[in-house]
Amino acid sequence: MQIEISRRRFLKGSVALMILGGTALSGADILAEAMSKATAAPVAAKGRRKVATICEMCVNKCAAIAHVENNIVKKLDPNPLFPKSRNMLCARGQAGISALYDPDRLKYPLIRAGERGDGKYRRATWEEAYKHIADKLTKILDEEGDNRSTIGYCAGEGLAEHTFKSFMSDKFGSSNFLNHSSICLQSTVTGYTLTIGGYGIADLENARYVIMAGANRAEAILTPDTMDLFKRTRGRGAKLVVVDPRYTNTAMHADTYLQIKPGTDLAFVLALTYATLLGQLYNKEYVENNFQDFEKYKKHILDSGYTPEWAEKITGIPAGTICKVAHDFMAAAPQAIYYQGRRTTWSKNDFQLRRAMALFTALGGGVDVKGGIVFGHKLPLGDHAITAPIYANAKGRIDKDAAAVVGSTGSWVAWRNMVAEGKTPYPVRGMFVYKQNPMLSVPDTARTAEMLRKMDLVVVIDTMPSDTAMFADVILPECTYLEREDPVTSFAGTEPAIALRMKAIEPMYETKPVIEIMRGLGEALSKPLWEISKKHDEDLQSELEDRPEEEVFSEGGYDLADAYQESQEEINHHMVVAKHGEAAWRILREKGVFYPQMNEYFKKLSDNSYQYYPRNKKYYGVLKKEGEMVRDDSLDRDCETCETCVNPADIAPTSRTYSTPSKKIECYLGAMEKKGVDPMPAWHDEDYVKVPKGKYKFITGRHAHFTQNATVNNIMLLELMKENYVWINDREARTLGIAFGDMVEITSPVGKVHIKAYPTPKIVSEAVFYIHGFGSKSSLQTFAHRNGASDNEIIEGSIEPVLGCAIMHDTLVSVRKV
Amino acid sequence: MNYAMALEYQNCINCQACEVACKQENGVQLGADKQRIWVGMVEGTIFGRPYANIYPSQCNHCLEAPCVSVCPTKASHYGEGGIVKVNPKQCILCKGCMEACPYDARFVDDTRVVIDKCTFCDHRIAETGTTACQATCPTKVRTFGDLDDENSDLVKLLKTRRFFVQKEHIGTVPKLFYLLPEDEAYAKQSLAHTTDIHTWEEIKPHYDEARNRRSKEWKR
Repeated sequence: MQIEISRRRFLKGSVALMILGGTALSGADILAEAMSKATAAPVAAKGRRKVATICEMCVNKCAAIAHVENNIVKKLDPNPLFPKSRNMLCARGQAGISALYDPDRLKYPLIRAGERGDGKYRRATWEEAYKHIADKLTKILDEEGDNRSTIGYCAGEGLAEHTFKSFMSDKFGSSNFLNHSSICLQSTVTGYTLTIGGYGIADLENARYVIMAGANRAEAILTPDTMDLFKRTRGRGAKLVVVDPRYTNTAMHADTYLQIKPGTDLAFVLALTYATLLGQLYNKEYVENNFQDFEKYKKHILDSGYTPEWAEKITGIPAGTICKVAHDFMAAAPQAIYYQGRRTTWSKNDFQLRRAMALFTALGGGVDVKGGIVFGHKLPLGDHAITAPIYANAKGRIDKDAAAVVGSTGSWVAWRNMVAEGKTPYPVRGMFVYKQNPMLSVPDTARTAEMLRKMDLVVVIDTMPSDTAMFADVILPECTYLEREDPVTSFAGTEPAIALRMKAIEPMYETKPVIEIMRGLGEALSKPLWEISKKHDEDLQSELEDRPEEEVFSEGGYDLADAYQESQEEINHHMVVAKHGEAAWRILREKGVFYPQMNEYFKKLSDNSYQYYPRNKKYYGVLKKEGEMVRDDSLDRDCETCETCVNPADIAPTSRTYSTPSKKIECYLGAMEKKGVDPMPAWHDEDYVKVPKGKYKFITGRHAHFTQNATVNNIMLLELMKENYVWINDREARTLGIAFGDMVEITSPVGKVHIKAYPTPKIVSEAVFYIHGFGSKSSLQTFAHRNGASDNEIIEGSIEPVLGCAIMHDTLVSVRKV
Repeated sequence: MNYAMALEYQNCINCQACEVACKQENGVQLGADKQRIWVGMVEGTIFGRPYANIYPSQCNHCLEAPCVSVCPTKASHYGEGGIVKVNPKQCILCKGCMEACPYDARFVDDTRVVIDKCTFCDHRIAETGTTACQATCPTKVRTFGDLDDENSDLVKLLKTRRFFVQKEHIGTVPKLFYLLPEDEAYAKQSLAHTTDIHTWEEIKPHYDEARNRRSKEWKR
């Protein structure tokens, strides 16, 4: 989506420009002929349809085919054409129908009739709901002098997230945006990006050695990583080392499982690095060609004494094992990966941990090379322009000084704390929530409730009556993913593709897709808010002295609905046709997936495997290499030998241009040092939270049967796991007199929960664990209500100092049988 | 046609996508004490270190199916390709088949008041060529196919890999073939030391003999 700044573009540049790069690729016309029989084509039987869609039961976006009979979705099957999801749907994907037909779905707009949190609402019409919001917003903005940032907004991850975000940020004009990043993967994405120039994609289809620490790909399914990895473990190509305080389903598949004390991963990586540097095991040519400040880093690691023996005392992993892992890793390098992980920020040092992991992988040369961390390629899409008004009185985000570097997605915990404690530079009086559920997803639930109670206006857009929705003044019901078309999306990877979510059936009840909600909200808000701006915005007032009002209103983008007038299908049509032509659009609508050479490349290899791109056409090394004048994609791809016959080890040492400031692998971050951040990963004893006797460190995690807290009311998934249990080491449980199924009370400095116990040898003795997402208190969710316990009720709301990410694994708790 | 299934059980991550796909595809009763397919898990410790083995499973569609032999009303019968099925109209819920099945693959569906079990998704074989459980599996544990077809992926797998079946000694001639992991340590960990390991060449005559004897009963 491209945003045009309407006026005063030289005065103020608070609108972020999203630049869609890349060149148009031809070749769509080749695809005009019919696809092979193996692909999913719509069947026009009586009353039966097959609709290509994209799953939204989690964040992976797997391609699916919805089987529709008489406008009822009967079954979801995987769409084999999509390279990222490799012809699969997991348990949650299969249970999408139960989300569509969930009896507790939000069906109509609701307006609060009781107190916040008590679940009392009255049914309203859309017009009534919009008017209610418009009246309240007008009053708030008038009182706040048109400071748009007085309204905060947050969004859960999804294909339509940007539609909501663009409305709130570009059209409405608030800077206070929050999303999942700071409670999810921001520390690892930023750590890798500042070090090797990108978060990258772990090429688990070709890696020969993988260290997976904390990440749990068997249970927290990620495509294509999960599918690629577990077909290659146990002597079938990939050595897998799992480092985790818990023996997970991923650990079951490991060649080596190392039980680590929570919060000590950095010591483990530093010791691996020490062993590698001391033994000179690293790829010297690669380091020589591609590292910046290597000698500084080497001196720092060796002088600091990060020996395996030192790390053994901290991590509990024997020094000999650490040395062996370092040796084996470097022997397999460059096809060796210290896996980046997803939901991170375990302890205060997380940013440094991710940096150390990236540097360790890079020491073996496993970056931008087959079997290492690769960056892949993204197919281009056209633009959708939005005219964004500039509001002179809109202020910057409130949490910008909460950490060394706070990005445009904010620090959820810092932001929430500031509002709850009334310590904001200006009043934050409202909150728009789309598809996110901070009551369950942000640490320290009591504080989140306190924040929401302080708001004068809370609007929730969702499909389910979540715990957060119970704090809303107005609830707007979105339709589920099976009832809407969403923005067409290009998926980067070694096998890039474009995929489209189309609606399987029309929206049920009075629900709407978010683009229509934004249109309706825009229509209701434009005129009243225009009056507020005219009253308070001096720049606007002076502009109105020279130009007619109607012209300024429409050309300046003050018609908030103007960007949402076209249907999503029309917008998608422009975006695809602009780069790939009409033939591509027809293929995409028929098959749900498109990439330029799909017809030629896509082949069914066996009942269980497909070829998406031939091996020599995959995008492994994409960075500009030494000696390459200009990267000519077509030439390179036509070279039959480029990735097939050549050993990755021979390509690895080549000098490349990385997307970092120095264009090299960054050992030393001088710019961060100025902000008080360690320029190189270092261990600080004082940052490590020790576990005193009688206490446990609480750790949390995800599961293959539930996605965060969004699926806890899904009856099909509750069949697989009825509630969550707390894992406690079996010996510890014995001393506490706790047996399987006993109800225990877990107390932390911020909360207390009751949950059933699962004593097991599969967890380290100093930690307790339970799965995130359960423990909903929303009385409108029949099956989820008070089922199990919520982790964020007991996790303390603290942040790490670099990015403001929520620290998830440093809370100490006590456990007793009740 | 002689339908069977091979399982690369070492790929299984216990995500239970197969179970949900089965329920959605076949309308299996929710809340029943058992279901058509399942993922079995055995866990414990060896010298204090935890381990776990995962065995995805379902009806074996035995060539010598005790559940078919025991049925007094012929509700339990062989369908096309030797798929063991239940005719709901003839089922009197005597549960003899549940007792007879050594794999615990049958259960009572309270909503239809009938014995329910895996059908190898026979209603969708013609259209999709495979079962819902195989189609949806993230790590592609299952390969469904026709033992009579020498060119099927199934037979190709059985010809190139060694495998075992469950409770072979009972003589049911079961048709779920568990593929032996090539990694010896894991093979040892996930097998009983008494489990017999087979090759297709060696076991095929036995399966052919059973098929020839019983296939007269198969519906065509």
